[in-house]
Formats: sequence, structure tokens, C-alpha cells
Amino acid sequence: MRQQYAIRSWVLAVGLAIVGLAVIVQMIRIQNSEQAKIFLSQGDLYAGEFNTIYPERGEIYDRNGHLLAGNRTVYEVGVSLNDMEDPEALAYILGTYLGLTYEDVYNKLIDSPESWEYVVIQDYVGAETVTSLQQLAQQLDDADDESLHGLGFKPHFQRSYPENNLASNVLGFVTRDGRGYFGIEEKYNDLLAGNPVQVWIPRDPNKAAEIPRVPNGTSLVLTLNRDLQAKVENILDQSLTEYGAKNGTIIVMDPRNGDILAMATTPRMNLNNYADYFVLYDNGSQYNRAVGMAYEAGSVVKVLTMAAALDSGTVVPSTSFVDTGSIQVGGITIQNWDRQPWGQQDMVGCLQHSLNVCMAWIATQMGTQTFYSYMDRFGLGHRTGVDLADEAMGRLKVPGDSDWYSVDLGTNAFGQGVSVTPLQMLTAVSAVANGGHMVTPHVLYSMLRDSHQYNVPAQYAGSPISAQTAKTLSEMLAISLEQESSGALLPGYRVAGKTGTAQIPTDYGYDPNHTNASFVGWGPVDDPQFMIYVWLQEPSTSIWGSQTAAPVFSVVAEQTVITLNIPPDVVRNQFGSR
Amino acid sequence: MQGQAIQIIHAYKQAPWRVQRQYVGAFLLVVIVLALVAALYLDVTARAAVAGREIQELRFEITTIQRSNADLETELANLTSTAVMQQRALELGYRPVKPGELDYISVPGFVTPEPAILLAAEDAQLHSQALPMEYTQSLLEWVDERIKFGGVQ
Repeated sequence: MRQQYAIRSWVLAVGLAIVGLAVIVQMIRIQNSEQAKIFLSQGDLYAGEFNTIYPERGEIYDRNGHLLAGNRTVYEVGVSLNDMEDPEALAYILGTYLGLTYEDVYNKLIDSPESWEYVVIQDYVGAETVTSLQQLAQQLDDADDESLHGLGFKPHFQRSYPENNLASNVLGFVTRDGRGYFGIEEKYNDLLAGNPVQVWIPRDPNKAAEIPRVPNGTSLVLTLNRDLQAKVENILDQSLTEYGAKNGTIIVMDPRNGDILAMATTPRMNLNNYADYFVLYDNGSQYNRAVGMAYEAGSVVKVLTMAAALDSGTVVPSTSFVDTGSIQVGGITIQNWDRQPWGQQDMVGCLQHSLNVCMAWIATQMGTQTFYSYMDRFGLGHRTGVDLADEAMGRLKVPGDSDWYSVDLGTNAFGQGVSVTPLQMLTAVSAVANGGHMVTPHVLYSMLRDSHQYNVPAQYAGSPISAQTAKTLSEMLAISLEQESSGALLPGYRVAGKTGTAQIPTDYGYDPNHTNASFVGWGPVDDPQFMIYVWLQEPSTSIWGSQTAAPVFSVVAEQTVITLNIPPDVVRNQFGSR
Repeated sequence: MQGQAIQIIHAYKQAPWRVQRQYVGAFLLVVIVLALVAALYLDVTARAAVAGREIQELRFEITTIQRSNADLETELANLTSTAVMQQRALELGYRPVKPGELDYISVPGFVTPEPAILLAAEDAQLHSQALPMEYTQSLLEWVDERIKFGGVQ
């Protein structure tokens, strides 16, 4: 009897063991089946999600730390279709708060493809609107009202420009796709935008894998002085009104290192409404005329011609020239701006009276090779390398070009037939203001990244003339302004400079009625701390640069010395002698 | 002789019920140890889960604060923009200075300030350090590591 029980027990145990073993075998088989792999991979999809983390775009400051371009939070308003309870209520509320029609919202909610779990109703919604919606949703939720169930808000950054129009031509703008256009925003887009990082974020808190730190985009400090920029823009706007000019450009630069302190052009746009771009501009070159638009600057080029002549030893300040009112170059007669002879002149007189005939004579004395060699060293026909997008190159025809003629040597000498941007001209003349060394203009002062500040060193674009030539020419230009009692003079400060009045080339020759008025100048002459370039397009009260651009230079110079705390020459010399 | 030997064996051999109790005791000891290990594992896992959740919440909080900082900085810039400050100055009775109204004073040793170093304006971004292994490692992973590396890391 006892043995029978033992046998039964063994049979039962073996049977159960076989069943258990079968279960285990089946488990292993299922675990390793093809279907299991599919299920596992499907399960992985729900274990977390890939998120692309976009870094906050770097900010832009002026040289004194004033924010010029920052970021603000806006929201994407959407609805989770699986959680939605009352599409009619959602359509009504969202339509009311977001300024949309009931039908538009309702159709989005109802007609979305079945595979969609989430539908975006509107993006870039301001924080105030979202706060109101959140409060309403909370109130309804507290009252167990499920009308707004499914409503969601996803925050993200949008570019914001606190100064609106200020320096819009320098800054450029950022569109909703996060890309910078024009100016600093385009030139340094990669630095400002940073590097987006795609990370796997597990839902299992046990797998709290560290999300990699996504550094913000690099912030930039510009050389611009916000206060001076505002003043210069104001002066430019007033000048356009006062002189009836179509458009204008004013640049203020430190000739010692190429820092652009202010760069004003017209028209300017409110960067927070970048859609205005299409209203204000016909093409990209108009966005920042200081770097994007080349024009015939006229007599300001005479500064370069004289610099080349002095440096090459062709003339000295006392070299005498008898102006008969015309000169033949390449078989073409060149005349003065007033078509009158000015008699015997020295080189200061040639500059003071802006004599085309004298300049053409100087160029012929220098010879083609010497003249164009100097113009090339001054950077005409080359980009300055300024760190702004869309810089134009200008054009300097040279011997060998199919459209270069012998007469061009004479006309180029006084600025006709040469197209330059205002910044190109300012850069070239910086060699005269800065002891023979030509600076590379720049807008970026430093970069801020990971709590480190990297200053950008000044760069020089060569030394086309000697220091002695620069000093001599500065003196000649200062004397010429003083002798003609130029409107460019600034009481208390000795300044040097040159006006330019240029006819405007058209497809049918030069426009007889309109001109471009320009002035390039710097000061104080014995220790230049600022350079200013003024360009007024087609002034109507007077066609002459001496009556339009020169007085504007004086006003800008006055505001510049106040803003930059540059004392009058007398005071500065007193300080220096102590 | 044989009978004596059997008597001695019977005298020292434990009773069958005593042997069974020892087996049951050993089995229960193993069960208790396993239960203790399981409880410990559950405790560690639960703590890790809580810590992980806290980390997720802190990250979210950091993001929110960074957004708030950016918003506040932009708002401050709006409130101190050139146009606003000029308007406020005019309302307070100030007017633009003229060159003749300025007095310059020589201050020995004074050096014209260079453009401001803006580190203070820049958000000091959090340098998140790597989480210690204790917060990310399961008990089994820890045991596995000890076996592989013999406790030397």
C-alpha cells in the first residue's frame, strides 16, 4: 500500500515536472521567436522618445552691454485629439482667443487624418494669450467641465528685438524657421543658432540617463555704441528731410582699430515685424546700403589719388599746377565741376577746390601702372571683409579690362567711373587717418560662450601709404577745409575731410539733374579717434556735397565727440601736457 | 556484535522527523534570504525611480527658469530701450547736452574704460555633472560589475 502511494507520488511529480519543463521551454521559444523580436521592437518605441533640443539662440549686445537682440517665449497651441472631449467648445474658445474663425478651428479638429494624435491650431502665440487660456482651462477643470480637455501648449523661443528699428540694417533678422537673414544674424547664424542635439529620453525613471547639456548659441557683443547709433539714425532721418534726399547712409568708425561705432542707413525696418522687408526693399542690396550698395562716390576718391601721388613722390604739397579749366586724357576732354579755369594752384588748392583737371593731371603724371597699383592697395574693387552679410564688391576698371579706356585714368582720378560702397571708401581712407595703416572694418567685438569672453582682435588690411604721407595729406585736407570755411568744420576740434559730388550714371549717360553727395572725414587730426562717412542720395535742396553732406558730417561729429567723451583739442592738449 | 553496532547507530542517528525539520529549516532560510534580497532590490529600485523622477522634474524646472530669465532680460531691455529712456529723460526735464556745456576734468590715473566685459549678463549655464553610478545602476548591474571587476573600478 505504502509503495503504491510512493509510485503515484513519483508519477505525479514527474508529470508536473514535465508540464513545468514544457512551460519553460515554451517561454524560451516564445521569447526567442521572430514575433517576440517584433513585439520587443514595438515596445521600445513606447519606452521613450527622441527629442531634438534646440539651443537658445545667442543674444546680441552693443559694446556697453545693452541688449539688441534677445529671445522671448511664445507657444504652440494645439489639441491632443485622443483626449479631446468637446470639439465645438474648443473651436469656439480657441477661435475667440486666437483670432481665428470657428469653422477653421473646428475643421482642423474634426477633419484631421485618423493617424494624427495631435493637431496644431496656431504657433507663436504670445504669453499673455496663453496665460488667459490656461486660466480658463483651469477654471473649467476645477468645475469638472471637460470642454477644453486635450488643449496643450508647447513653449519655445522667438527672436525679439527690444530696440525695434535701431541698427536694423546691421543686425538683420531671424525668420520663424530660425534662420538669420542679413547683417549679423546671417553672417554669424551658425554661431548664434548653436548646435541642435537629438537625445533619447526614456519614460522609465529608472533609466534616468543624463540628457546631454545643450549649450546655448554663442552670444555676440558688437562694436556698435547704442546711444551713438540712435543719434546718428536720428541725424540721418532729419538730414533726409532737410536736404530732400531719397536715402542716406552714415558710418562712424574708429580708425585705430576698425570698430564700427554706428552704421545708419535708410529705410530701416522694425525687426519684430520682418514681413515689412518685402514692403520696404526691392532687393537685398538696399537692406544695408553701407555695405551692399556700390555707387560712384565722386570727389572723395581724390583723397586716394592725392595719397598715391604724394606717396609715389609724383607731387609734394607745394607742387604747382596751372589749371586751364580742361585737360585731354585719352583723347577726351576733362573739365572741372564748374567748367572754369582756376589758374595757378598748389596741391592743397587742388583739394580745396576739388579740381578734376588737376587730379586727372596728377594721375597722368603718376602713370597708369602706379595709379591702379595704389587703387588696388587701397582695396577698390575688393570687399573689405567686414563681418556683415551681402557685402558688395564695387568695381574698379583696370587696364586690360574690355571696358577700360585711356580716359578712365583721368576720370577715375576724381572718382568718376569707380563704384565703391560707403564702407569701402571709409576703409580706404582709414589709411590716411591711421598713419598709413588701413584697418579691416568689423562689427563683432567679442563672443560669449560657456561663460567665457573671446575678444576679436583688430585686423589691418595693409599699409598702402607711408605714415609720413598720411600725416602730410591729413594736414592738407584739414587746411583745405579751414580755408574754404567748410560746413564740415566742428568748433573746438580740428578735422580733416573731403566732399564728393557725383553725377549718377544711367543707361543713357550721366543724369544731369541728380547727384550723390558724400563726405569722408575724421578727427581730431592730431589724434584721430573717429571717422565719419556721409552719403546722401539725390539731395534736392542742393546737388553739392559741400552744402549737404558736409554739414551732416559736422552734426554727426559733434554728437560723436559728446558720446565718446572726446574733449576739445585745447583741453586735450592741456591734459596731454600735464 | 552486529546487534551492538545497530544499537550504537540508533543511539546517534537523528530521528527522521528531526532530519525533515532541518531540511525545511534550510529551505525556509533560503526563502527568507531571497525575500530579503528582493525587498532590498525593490527598495533600491523604488528610490532610484523617485530620484529619476525628481531629476526629470528638476530638468523641467531648469528649462522653465531659463525661459523665464530670457523673457525677463528681454523685458528689461524693452523697458530700458533708447526710445523709452529718451522719452523718460524728456519727461523728467532733461535735454540733450551741447558741446559748450561740457566740462572735462583730468583725473590722474584714469584709464578710458574698455567695452564692458559682459560675463555677468550672460546666463551662467548649469554645468550638469555626470550622475553618480549609485543613481543610475540597478542592483543586478552592480553585482555584475563587482563580479567582472572584483570591486575595483
